Amino acid sequence: MKSPATRREHTFVATLCLALLLLGGCHPVQQAKGIAVHKDVPSDPIGNREVREGGTLTMGLSAEPDRLDPTTSTSLYTRYVMNSICEKLYDIDENSSIVPQLASALPKISDHGRTVSIPLKEGIKFSDGTEFDAAAVKKTLLRDLNKSDSARKSEMGPITSVEAPTDRRVELHYSKPFAPITAALADRAGMIMSPKALDKLGADFGDAPSCVGAFKFVERTPQTSITVKRDPNYYDAKDVHLDAIKYRIMTDANIRAANLRSGDVDVIDTVFPQDVDALLREDDIGILQSSSLGYQGVTFNLGNTSGVGKAPGKIKGPIANDPRIRQAFEHAIDRKALVNSVFNNWFEPACSPISPDSEFATAASKKCPKFDPDLSRHLLKQAGVKTPVTIPMMVTNTPDTLRFAQALQASVKDAGFDVKISPVEYTTLLDAQDRGDFKMLQLGWSGRVDPASNMSTFLTTGASLNVAGYSNSRVDHLLVKAEQETDSQKRARIYGKVISQAHKDDPIVYLYRQRNLTAYSHGVAGVATYPDGVVRVNKAAFLKEDD
Amino acid sequence: MGRYLFNRLWQALVTILLSTIVVFYGVRALPGDPARALAGEEADPAAIAAVRANLGLDQPVIVQYFRFLGNIIRGRFGDSIRTGEPVTDLIGATLPVTLWLSVYAVAIAVVVGVGAGVIAAIYRGRWPEWVANGFTLMGLSVPHFWLGILGILYLAIGLGWFPASGYVPLLDDPIRGIYYLTLPAVVLGITIAAIVMRQTRASMLESLSTDYVRTARAKGLSRSRVIVRYALRNSLLVVVTIVGLQLGGLIAGVVVTERIFGLPGFGKLTLDSIFTRDYPVIQAVVLVVTIAYIVINLAVDVLYSLINPRIRVGGNA
Repeated sequence: MKSPATRREHTFVATLCLALLLLGGCHPVQQAKGIAVHKDVPSDPIGNREVREGGTLTMGLSAEPDRLDPTTSTSLYTRYVMNSICEKLYDIDENSSIVPQLASALPKISDHGRTVSIPLKEGIKFSDGTEFDAAAVKKTLLRDLNKSDSARKSEMGPITSVEAPTDRRVELHYSKPFAPITAALADRAGMIMSPKALDKLGADFGDAPSCVGAFKFVERTPQTSITVKRDPNYYDAKDVHLDAIKYRIMTDANIRAANLRSGDVDVIDTVFPQDVDALLREDDIGILQSSSLGYQGVTFNLGNTSGVGKAPGKIKGPIANDPRIRQAFEHAIDRKALVNSVFNNWFEPACSPISPDSEFATAASKKCPKFDPDLSRHLLKQAGVKTPVTIPMMVTNTPDTLRFAQALQASVKDAGFDVKISPVEYTTLLDAQDRGDFKMLQLGWSGRVDPASNMSTFLTTGASLNVAGYSNSRVDHLLVKAEQETDSQKRARIYGKVISQAHKDDPIVYLYRQRNLTAYSHGVAGVATYPDGVVRVNKAAFLKEDD
Repeated sequence: MGRYLFNRLWQALVTILLSTIVVFYGVRALPGDPARALAGEEADPAAIAAVRANLGLDQPVIVQYFRFLGNIIRGRFGDSIRTGEPVTDLIGATLPVTLWLSVYAVAIAVVVGVGAGVIAAIYRGRWPEWVANGFTLMGLSVPHFWLGILGILYLAIGLGWFPASGYVPLLDDPIRGIYYLTLPAVVLGITIAAIVMRQTRASMLESLSTDYVRTARAKGLSRSRVIVRYALRNSLLVVVTIVGLQLGGLIAGVVVTERIFGLPGFGKLTLDSIFTRDYPVIQAVVLVVTIAYIVINLAVDVLYSLINPRIRVGGNA
C-alpha cells in the first residue's frame, strides 16, 4: 500500500503534468491557414517616406554562400551577397527584363550574331579605387573562360575571342551565334572583378573580393556571417542609405522566421509556405513575393546507363520505353490540389520550364496536360501494363520534399501507380542522378532568365544535366536553333515546340514552381526580390521612427 | 604518476592514428564526391574535373591518405573544399563557441543538478524532493530542441528577455557574450542537470548513511558542514565522471542547439561538412573530437585522485 508521502508525490507530479498539458494546449501550435494571394509584390519602395541615414541592416540567409568568387561560385546564395558588392554588366528588373547595370546599353549584335558589342558606363571605380574600363571587363571575362575550375565557361557559349577596342567598349566574338549571352552577363558571368585584386589575389580572390558595388567586403566569419560596408567609391552613392549590411547564416526556416519576429534580423529570404500565413498576421512584418524562374518536377531515367553526359543506353522496362506510361503518370497528377495541400497555396502548378511571366512564354509553353485519371487508366491499358505500376522515386530527405512526395504518391494511386518513396540525402541524390542509378527522382532547378539554361542542358542529348538520358534529334535541333536565333519572339516559338515535344516524351514531368518569398521588418524599406530570387538590400534604408 | 601519463600518451597516439584511418576511408565510402557536391545543381563536367584535380581527389586513395597524414604531422589540415578557408581557421572559429556553450551548460547543470540532488537527499520524502524529481522527469523526458524552440517563442519573441539567436565572443565582450549564450546553455544544461541531480541524490543518500558521517554528526559538527565537507565531497566522484562524459558528448555535437540558436559552433560545422562531403573538415573535426575525449578522460582520472587522495591514478587505492 502506498504511503501518504508517496501518494502526495504522485499527486504533485500528476498535477504538474496536467498543468503543463493545459498550458501547451491553450497555445495554438499552428496558426490557422490563411488564403494565399498570388499578387507579385517584388519590392517595398522607399517612395516619399523619410529614411534614417546609416545603420547596419541584418539579413538572415538560408544557406552559407560558397567562395565569393564569381568565376567559380556555384551557390545561388553567393549572389545575394555579391549583389551588394559586385555589380554586373546587366541585371534584371522586376519583370525579368534585362537592363544595363555597368553596361550603358543592351549589347549590339552584328556579323550574323557572331559579334556582341557591349558599351560601358563611365566614371566608375572598383572598391579598391581602380578604374572600371574595358580592359578590366576583358580580364574578368577571360578569367571566366580560361580558369580551369570556372563554372561560367559553359554559360558564355562558343567565344573565340574577347577584345577591348576602346576604353568604353568590349567585343565578344563567337564561332556561332549565342543568344543566351546577355542573360549570362546578367548573372555571375557578368560580375566584373577588380584587375588589381585579381593580380594580387589570383585564385584567392574570393577571400577579399573587390568589385563595383554599393558596398564593399569587410570580413567573413565562418558559418556565422559576412559583413559589407558602404563603398565611398560607388558611382550611385546618392541612393545608398545604409552604413553596412550583415548577412547572418540561418539555415533553419523556422529559426529565421523567429529571429525576424524577435527583431534580431531585419530581412529573411526563402520563407517557407508554412510560416508565411503566420508572419502576415504580424503588424510589423511585410512579405515580398514574386514568381521564380525555376521549377520542381520528377525525372524519369530513359537512357542514363553510363553516367550523365555520356551517350544514352538502353534501359529495360516499360516506363523508360513507352511514353504512354509517363503520359499516364502526368495525367494522374492534380497539380493544383497538390500545391494547395502541401504548400498552403503559396506555390504554383507548373507544366513547363518556362515561367509564364517570362518574355519567352507562349501558349505552347503555358499548356498543361490536364488532370484526368480516366485517361491515365486508358493509357496504361493501351500500353498493356499490369496495374498498379510500381515506380521507385528518389527524393531528398527534407520535410517539405517528403510531404510533397507523399502527396504525389497518394495523388497518382487512383490512376494505377504505386510510387515507392526513397528519401536520401541531397549529395547522395546528386550522385545517383549522375550515375543513372534511379528509375524516377524528384528534383528541381532554380531557373535562369534565359530559357536555354532551363532547357538545353536538360534535354539535349549528352548535355551535362540531361540525367534522364533523354535523346530526341528533333529536340536537339530545335534547341540549337533557338540558341542561335537572336530574335526573342522566334526563340519563344521554337521553345514552345520543344515543350510540346517534351510533353509527349515526358523525360521530365514539371510539377510546380516556387514563389520567391521574402519577409522584412516594416522598419526597413527599399528591399526587393525579383524573379531571379536574389534579395536586393543594397538600396534599402531604415525608416524614421515615426513612420 | 609520470609513468602513468606516459602510458596514456602513447595509447592516445595509437588511438588517434587508428581514428585517422577510420575517418579517412569511412568518409570516402559515402556516396557522392566533394567536387560534385560543391557544384550543386550546376554540373559543368570540366569544372568538376578541374576541382577534383585541384583538390588531389583524382589521386589514388592511399596517396591521398599519406598526404593527409603528412600534413597533420606538420600541423596542417588543408582548406575547406566548400569555402576555401583554412580548416584550422574554421575550427579555431567554431570550437571556442561550442566549448564556451558546453562549459556554460555544464556549469548550470552542476550548480542546479548538485544543488537539487543535495536538497532531494536531505529532504527525502518531503515536497522539496518531489519538486526535484519532477524537474528530473522533465529534464530527462523533454527533448532539448523542443525546449529551445519554446524558449525562443516565449522568452525571446514573447518577453524579449533574451535574443533569439546569435553569438558574441566572450573574450570580446564577456557580458554580452554570456547574455547571448544563456538561453542555449540553459536549454542544454537542463538535461544534464537532471542526470546530475539523480546521481547526486543517490550518492548523497549513500554517503549520509555511512558511519563516518554519523560519527561526524555525533562529534557535534554542524549539519551544513557535515553535508558539504563530508557527504557531498565523497559524492562528487560520480558527478565528476558524469560531467566528464557529458562534456565530451557536448563538444562532439550540440548540433541541434547550435542550429536552433544560430550558433556558429563545432557541431554545426561537423554536420555541414558531412552534408557537403568537405573531406578536410570532416577529417579534422573527427581528430579534434578524438583528442578531446582522450584529454577529458585523462583529466577526469587525474581529478579523481585530487578529490580522493586514496585513489592513485595508475596505482592502487
